[in-house]
Amino acid sequence: MVAARREDIAVRFLNVVYAVARKDLRAELRGRELLPALAQFVVLALVIANFAFDLDLVSGPRLSPGILWLVLVFAGLVVFGRAFAAEKESGSLEAMLLTPAGPAAIFAGKALAAAALLVACEALLLPAMAVFLGSPISAAVVVTVLVATAGMASLGSLFAALAAQTRARELLLPVLALPIWVPFVIVGGKAVQVAMSGQSLTALPLSSQPLVVMADFDILFLVVASLAARFVLDD
Amino acid sequence: MTEPEDRRLYALTALALAGMLVAAGMIFLYAPQDALQGPVQRIFYLHVNSAIAAYICFGMVVAGGVAYLWKESVRGDRLARAAATVGLVFTTNAFVMGMIWAKPIWNWDPSKTWDARVTSTAVLWVVYAGYLLVRRFATPGRPAMRLAAVVGIVGFVDVPVVHFSVQWWRTLHPGPVIDAAGGPALPPEMLLAFMVTMVAVLLLAGTLVAIRYRIEARRDELEDRAVAAQLELAASHGSR
Amino acid sequence: MTAAIRAEGLLQRFGAVVAVGPLDLELRAGERLAVLGGNGAGKTTLLRLLATAARPARGRLELLGLDAGRQRERLRARLGYVGHQLGVYPALTAMENLEFFATLHGLGRADAAAAVELVGLASLAGRRVEQLSRGQHQRLALGRAVLHRPELLVLDEPDASLDSEGRSLLGQLFDGRTVVMATHDSALARQVCDRALLLRAGRAAGDPWSLRVVKT
Repeated sequence: MVAARREDIAVRFLNVVYAVARKDLRAELRGRELLPALAQFVVLALVIANFAFDLDLVSGPRLSPGILWLVLVFAGLVVFGRAFAAEKESGSLEAMLLTPAGPAAIFAGKALAAAALLVACEALLLPAMAVFLGSPISAAVVVTVLVATAGMASLGSLFAALAAQTRARELLLPVLALPIWVPFVIVGGKAVQVAMSGQSLTALPLSSQPLVVMADFDILFLVVASLAARFVLDD
Repeated sequence: MTEPEDRRLYALTALALAGMLVAAGMIFLYAPQDALQGPVQRIFYLHVNSAIAAYICFGMVVAGGVAYLWKESVRGDRLARAAATVGLVFTTNAFVMGMIWAKPIWNWDPSKTWDARVTSTAVLWVVYAGYLLVRRFATPGRPAMRLAAVVGIVGFVDVPVVHFSVQWWRTLHPGPVIDAAGGPALPPEMLLAFMVTMVAVLLLAGTLVAIRYRIEARRDELEDRAVAAQLELAASHGSR
Repeated sequence: MTAAIRAEGLLQRFGAVVAVGPLDLELRAGERLAVLGGNGAGKTTLLRLLATAARPARGRLELLGLDAGRQRERLRARLGYVGHQLGVYPALTAMENLEFFATLHGLGRADAAAAVELVGLASLAGRRVEQLSRGQHQRLALGRAVLHRPELLVLDEPDASLDSEGRSLLGQLFDGRTVVMATHDSALARQVCDRALLLRAGRAAGDPWSLRVVKT
């Protein structure tokens, strides 16, 4: 038997990632459970925010960054939680692992699909905030949120996979994921705040620009998650 | 397990307690009062050293986790288990003391209280708590050990990232940096009190970890014995 | 001949509870073993060990001549497993399920099509799994398990919802393969298996005995 070439392995890896991501997204779109539920969640969260904070033309934009991140974090918990809960129940996670596909590729595919779903949620949240809260949503805000989503997805998925294997998934996922997401909320929160208030951070050196910092986090956490994935998924 | 080990642990405990008493003496009787902050500043000695002990314990959790994932070392996992509980206690202590200290100094103003160290200590606390919860709720045996190890290691990476993030944030919101002793450098008496307290606290932490390690080792042993008993019982019943 | 399965002192425990073992087992290539026993006897735990879905706490396990702990990736290409939960996606169609798993195995649509044919679901290939009956669901799971033409099949109560047609399908699928099958149905065991192992409280109640294979 000839040893597999590196290109072959890479191609197979990508095939698996793509297949798993496609399968997840297809199942969600067919199931039509998650996206409507997220839509409801987003609208309700904004209604609650409006009344809880007594928002007006001034406070709406001012509190928007905070509301954005709160809603994003909780939506993230829902999306990543679901990604693995259903698989565990149907035994399909195991079925996937008992193939030559490898836990890393399977994990990457699921994280990618979950990220895509979270982005879909954001596509709803940001315009809704502009309409209901008067938040100034600009391109800078959108890009910031997307960069943060990438990082949140890698570790959110890792811990969702972990929590799904315990008896207390719904308790553990927030406890594990929120500390990990704190850096994104801190840096991203400031970035969104700055973008929304029309200030600029051009005074900062490039390496301290929020997008660059978050991209660094993304890379770091992506590496950590890929290394840890096989210990989480496989015995 | 045997007499000499028991005696060693007792001796260690006695030493640790003695150390803490000496440290208490140093803190309250020897160290001078801070000019700016007054008597409340004396919290600093135990507060900072608790944090140091907490981080060292966390280092042990990570080392144990790595040992388990890499070499399947059950002893490593046991060390991680032991250090996690102790670390959580010291983290709680550091955090609570920090809050008590912050009240008269900053009046608990959130824009000042949540600096890099406070935030990363709070995150450390949640990570530890998560670690212990995962241990409890995962399937006992391999899954619990491997999942907890991952939580410990990923948390270990996360805490400095959080610290960095808050520092980054603070460069845009400069706030008063908590001054440990109210001066640019610690006066020698305070420094001495600090070092003595550090030795005492680290000794205490080490002792607690050693005791917990022993407890966990005993627990593992009891479990193994229960398993062996089950197997013998079944064997003696004739089924092969 | 290399044994298809060789287990020595195999043991699985959860904390202080021994779920199965210590167990010694040897199965030759092409042999079909029925694992019998009441609920909680350890059948599922044993099967999961044999399918490399879980690692034993103690003992040695060799499958198809390979070490089950260290050569899992290679092994997983050569064995098929259907657990209690069938491991198929309810929202996808039968064919989509098989195509998906085919991709994971590095295989193509043709293999998926062959599998759906083999388990008699060709006419329902475009139906979503949640719309299939439990028996059809089970067939699909079997299709998934044999998609990659494995040498070893590990099945946990595959007969639970199968009708008689489905059961003869089992016999077909077993042909030429080594099989370990957990079941409550001793009649079925006699029909499709060569040997039987009775588990009681995780231990083997006696050696695996030979079943008289009734050939008609």
